[in-house]
Amino acid sequence: MPVSGARMMEWAWLIPVFSFAAAPAVVIFGRFLPGKGSWISILAIAGGFLMFWLVLGSWMGAEAVGNCFTSENTQMLTCDYERSWFNAGVVGAVGSVSLNWGILIDPLTIAMLGLVTFVALMVQVYSLAYMKGDPRFGWYFAIHSLFAASMLTLVLADNFLLLYVAWELVGICSYLLIGFWHERRSAREAAKKAFIVTRIGDVGLLIGILLIWRDVGSFSMLDAFEAARTGAMSEGVVTASAILLFLGAMGKSAQVPFHVWLPDAMEGPTPVSALIHAATMVVAGVYLVARTFPLFEAYDADPLMVVAIVGLVTALGAATVALVATDLKRILAYSTISHLGLMMLSLGAFGYTAAIFHMMAHGFSKALLFLGAGSVLHSTEFQETGEMGGLRKVMPLTAIVFSIGALSLGGIPILAGFWSKDEILIAVNDHRNVTFIVLTLFTALLSALYMARAMFLVFFGQLKDQNSHVHDAPAAMAFPMVLLGVLALGFGLISFNWPGSYGGIGTFVFFEHSEKFHFEIWLGAVSIVLAIGAFVFAHRVYVEKSISLEGVRKRNSGILKVIENKYYFDEAYQWVIDRVVFVFSRFIAFFDRAIVNDIIVNGPADVTRKFGIALRVHVTGHVYSYTLAMAAGSVGLGLFVWLRVV
Amino acid sequence: MNDFDQVALLLLIIVPLVGSLTMMFMPGGDSKESWYFAIFIAAISLVLALFIFARYDYHEGGFQYIASYEWLPGPLDIRLSLGIDGISAPMVLLNGIVLFGGVLVSQTVNHRTRDFFVLLFALSAGVYGVFVARDLFFLFFFYELAVLPMYLLIGVWGSSTDFKTFLRTKEYGAMKLLIFLVGGSILVWIGILALYVEASNMGMGTFSMSGLQLLSENGAFDSKFQTLVFPLFMVGFGVLAGLWPFHTWSPDGHVAAPTAVSMLHAGVLMKLGAYGIIRVGMFLLPEGADAWMPVLITLGTVNVLYGAISAMSQTDLKYIIGYSSVSHMGYVLMGIATLDNIGMGGAVLQMFSHGMMTALMFLLVGSVYQKTHTRDINVLNGLASRMPVNTFFFAIAGLASLGLPGLSGFIAEFMVFTGVFRTYLPLAILAVIGAAITAVYILRLLARTFLGEPDEQWANLTDSSPVELSVGAAFVAVIIFVGVWPDPLMRVINVGVQSIPGV
Amino acid sequence: MVDLVWFQLLSAVLFVIGLYGVMARRSAVLIIMSIELMLNAVNINLIAAASHMEGIGKFSDFDGQLIAIFIITVAAAEVGLALAIILRMFRNKSTVNVDEINLMKW
Repeated sequence: MPVSGARMMEWAWLIPVFSFAAAPAVVIFGRFLPGKGSWISILAIAGGFLMFWLVLGSWMGAEAVGNCFTSENTQMLTCDYERSWFNAGVVGAVGSVSLNWGILIDPLTIAMLGLVTFVALMVQVYSLAYMKGDPRFGWYFAIHSLFAASMLTLVLADNFLLLYVAWELVGICSYLLIGFWHERRSAREAAKKAFIVTRIGDVGLLIGILLIWRDVGSFSMLDAFEAARTGAMSEGVVTASAILLFLGAMGKSAQVPFHVWLPDAMEGPTPVSALIHAATMVVAGVYLVARTFPLFEAYDADPLMVVAIVGLVTALGAATVALVATDLKRILAYSTISHLGLMMLSLGAFGYTAAIFHMMAHGFSKALLFLGAGSVLHSTEFQETGEMGGLRKVMPLTAIVFSIGALSLGGIPILAGFWSKDEILIAVNDHRNVTFIVLTLFTALLSALYMARAMFLVFFGQLKDQNSHVHDAPAAMAFPMVLLGVLALGFGLISFNWPGSYGGIGTFVFFEHSEKFHFEIWLGAVSIVLAIGAFVFAHRVYVEKSISLEGVRKRNSGILKVIENKYYFDEAYQWVIDRVVFVFSRFIAFFDRAIVNDIIVNGPADVTRKFGIALRVHVTGHVYSYTLAMAAGSVGLGLFVWLRVV
Repeated sequence: MNDFDQVALLLLIIVPLVGSLTMMFMPGGDSKESWYFAIFIAAISLVLALFIFARYDYHEGGFQYIASYEWLPGPLDIRLSLGIDGISAPMVLLNGIVLFGGVLVSQTVNHRTRDFFVLLFALSAGVYGVFVARDLFFLFFFYELAVLPMYLLIGVWGSSTDFKTFLRTKEYGAMKLLIFLVGGSILVWIGILALYVEASNMGMGTFSMSGLQLLSENGAFDSKFQTLVFPLFMVGFGVLAGLWPFHTWSPDGHVAAPTAVSMLHAGVLMKLGAYGIIRVGMFLLPEGADAWMPVLITLGTVNVLYGAISAMSQTDLKYIIGYSSVSHMGYVLMGIATLDNIGMGGAVLQMFSHGMMTALMFLLVGSVYQKTHTRDINVLNGLASRMPVNTFFFAIAGLASLGLPGLSGFIAEFMVFTGVFRTYLPLAILAVIGAAITAVYILRLLARTFLGEPDEQWANLTDSSPVELSVGAAFVAVIIFVGVWPDPLMRVINVGVQSIPGV
Repeated sequence: MVDLVWFQLLSAVLFVIGLYGVMARRSAVLIIMSIELMLNAVNINLIAAASHMEGIGKFSDFDGQLIAIFIITVAAAEVGLALAIILRMFRNKSTVNVDEINLMKW
């Protein structure tokens, strides 16, 4: 192909466009095609995945000429392509603004493109078998395509407006997919909750974007970063907008206190959970913070501390809940929240590379875990871990891949999750004070514990009679799981220094300084010990049943109750909604009806009416009263004239 | 073509007017012929509107298709002057589309069909007239022509709301609407006379808007005069625009009106008010506008929040949409009040966009009411399984109204936010919160009424009629088109907004 | 000649009697008669004034008589109409008592 390496990147916008085109195609033509048009959608995302490789190759061969340059802010090679969309205000007039379509390609983008296209492809293939027979099969794939397209646009966007557009679109796709089985009330409620909670965060996002625009004069991200770096934006504005952007990120990435939508989002089909709520949509917030990192660390005021604290609280809190939850998908949901917290924590500790690396490793591993859970649900139709046990005897493939995922996220060495978690630990240790590293290590321990617990409760131990008929996953479901399993096993390898110019992922995705791979012995050793110890302990408790937790449960029953009830967040929110929001709303509606309308508007009308009633009394219908009035009137008039004349 | 340009705007007004007069001679009672003839007239008007909009030269800007006919010469010198610019062109287009859609959907008007269309066309002639008039007298005349038929339309063909605790008859809705709007137009008339008298004090008494604008630019109207007279227009036209606290006619009026009338009312009529504020208030009295903007923008913000919060607790489907209209007109008013080219551009685009989406919503709700004979959201549920296309369109309209990107509402609201952000920061934050609240009631409505399992009583429902669905599809197409590629509208609007003094 | 004042006094007395009749009578026919009385009282006044004038200013000798003839004509027409209404009233309600004709009230 006579297209030079650098030119291929220009066409990166095709990646979302394939899926954008697939969505209406599936809706309109799907019913006439075999498989309800699902393969249109899969082809589109596969095409996107293919283009990702082309873009990667193109970027690697690119030099800093033309649209590409070494960004002053991130020191990575960055390429930017723009096209005009519409103008607000006549072009060139004072105060007018040009809104553009634009894509930005740098290693962060490429990493995200790879993650999103691959996991989306895997999940769509998996869904072929999982959603088979569903009456709205075609719609499912159409929305999946729309979602993939929006998410890809989000990571490619080079200006805040396009990012916001994609952000909202991703939100609505999530609403449609969570509420896919909308016959169930719980699904509708969960979808609504997800959209509204994230919308609240989006208020912060929009205000942050507008705040930046006000000072910079354009929506372009590169312009904003330049302004922050050169001091054109004041410290106050930069810090405020960073925090506001983070609010949006908190919503999408389920940080405390916006995390409440994610566990409920498990109402959606499991592949949806795998894609959206493990690997892609929820990391949009992490991506946003990473992308706008120059804003966060422009001045000395430390918005990243806020990010770190929120991340740590989320990580720790969610881990505790995951430890006591009994619904398999809920365990995975809280685990996701916890890991998202870890990613934010890493960003907050200047661990840029670590956060991105963990995002990818977690994405593959968590998607794998969800797909495995889906496989279990598909066969057993239970979600409570109490109904499971010993399933490895009847579904060996699922058991193996699930265990790989669990071990990876638990932080067992060799697997991808270990390396990424290790990088995070290094970052936290290097840049934040002691409390952080201690609590992070504790969180790591808890995450190993709950992952081990989930794994052992479901797949190991005694097989219940009710589950003896259970079968393993069909091919369409098994294939993606295996691929993801391979990645969960081997992805860690990219963090190493390899011979040649590749010095580990730290030299690919980085912020300001490329870092070759290094390994802190003591930290690594501690985390290995904690992880392995946790797995062994869990094995003893749940499989061998040689250690009993009854005593611990009894002594801490109060705290346990609080944790089991997820710290009562949902109850608190529901109280606020019922007692505050709706009461206020009813008051306003009442005010409008009773006071503004009935009193102020109808009031004068009533007064006029009553006045009229009072006046009409003089129409008596009797002739003599009329003649009396006439006589009196004329006499009066005559007198008046006579007196005036005289 | 120049000859045609000369008469284009006059034709625009005359076609519905002639249609209305001709229909008076058609056989009365319930006849399909009235409907067919009405479609014919509405189609001509739509073609005219499209043609005029498409051939508006946005590079040149300014007033085009100018025509002027002598009417009352002598000292008063009232002329029928017509012309459109970048602000009125999209409005003319909007009216053409909504009128055509409304007429198509009025297939279900069985009772005194002919009279219905006579009044409807008189109304739309008035609306066209307001948008193209360049003479204050005729602007007022057409304004009244647009308002007065509403009383009969709602009173005769409307529907009453009767919940156990809450009774609003259609007569009440019609009367309240009429008195409010006429009250507003009294204020407008006083303002117009004030302008005329002040102008004649300078020796150049005229009702012509271009003449008055020239006078205004040359400083004929002093600051004090402007500050006194502008609120007459702000409140007078604001009543029609649903300005808080003069908005209460709007929900009751919307609810009581029949479908086509609701579509025109919420879709186009309320925009007349906002248009009046811009055209008469801002073009002629810029200093007054400047002085009163803080009040207008504050009231606009109250509109946004008040409308959205009230909509959350309504139980009648049409009331939710009615209060939603009040809320969205708040965005228009805020955008106007910014006196900023992005904010005003957003306001005009919101006028168009909201017109389309609210007309669509009333269309769909009217169809639902036609089949179920109830609008109570506590009784309706699971409509999606029985009326899937209707639900899909309603979802699009709802998402457009909460400002989802990819649909026209987002572009408009975003521009308004940007404009307000530039001028009055704290109110911008409140406006964005208003958008979040909109999400709440729209999604609640969707979840409660459309999604889920239907009760047995709805087991035999069928989807809306093909005519209704085609009109709905057309509206949805426009909403998506403007959302993805707003440029064709924006370049016309930008040129128009630029010429507002003070922006 | 008798002084004008006596004619005017006669006219006033007749007028007041007529006015009393209109206000106090129950029968519609009698009310009409009283109205006639008032009108004729005015006639007397006018004719007396005419006969005592000597062309003062713009007024000539017989202006009063002119007006009196006008009044007679109008009175005749009006009585015709009034009696028609009374006939109708009687046919509907079998009474000419005005107290009982009071439907046109609020």
